[in-house]
Amino acid sequence: MTRAPLLVAALLMSLPCFAAETGDAAAGKIKAYTCTGCHGIPGWKNPYPNYHVPRIGGQNYDYLVTALTEYKTGNRAHPTMRAQGESLSEQDIRDIATFLAGLTP
Amino acid sequence: MKRIPASLFFAAIAFGATPAFAAKGDIEAGKAKSVPCQACHGADGNAADPQYPRLAGQYRDYLERALHEYKTGGRKNPIMAGFATTLSDEDITNLAAYYASLPGTKLTDLHDRVQGK
Repeated sequence: MTRAPLLVAALLMSLPCFAAETGDAAAGKIKAYTCTGCHGIPGWKNPYPNYHVPRIGGQNYDYLVTALTEYKTGNRAHPTMRAQGESLSEQDIRDIATFLAGLTP
Repeated sequence: MKRIPASLFFAAIAFGATPAFAAKGDIEAGKAKSVPCQACHGADGNAADPQYPRLAGQYRDYLERALHEYKTGGRKNPIMAGFATTLSDEDITNLAAYYASLPGTKLTDLHDRVQGK
């Protein structure tokens, strides 16, 4: 346990490696137009299986980048989001994530 | 598969399925199970580290779906797989109910947020 501060310091120093470069919120707002087809309708449900599509406004930036990248690469299985992800460049993903993360209720 | 008369099917939806669905999950049991989650997702369900998602106020059925996907491998994440594979279906339902019940002070849908306002 005496090494705990060292471990914490090492973790903190490694944070910048994880922190992704942010994008352009204004560009992201334009690129997010398609997202509103499902994520812009309160209570909208995914059909078969039936569940609400998630609230993504105000979500954390790095997580949004990870999620969109995973849909793009197929690490998350969802046909609609897979197709959306495949159409996005890394810059698109950063822009959209920056716009979404900046929203407040 | 046996055929169920359509009238019975719709009656089940009208009188049974909907209320049961709305009241799904035990929030208190979910809260008790949420202790390991809090390390990354925050005590209030709003992760401070941006690499982890906010869960507070997210839709219950979406959270349930996501946990099942981490458990079964539909979503491939080593950290979440480690936790989700230890959870029963009931644990997942309860955890989803708990996080959905927390005040959604950060998350929002995109209604009127891209066009117009």
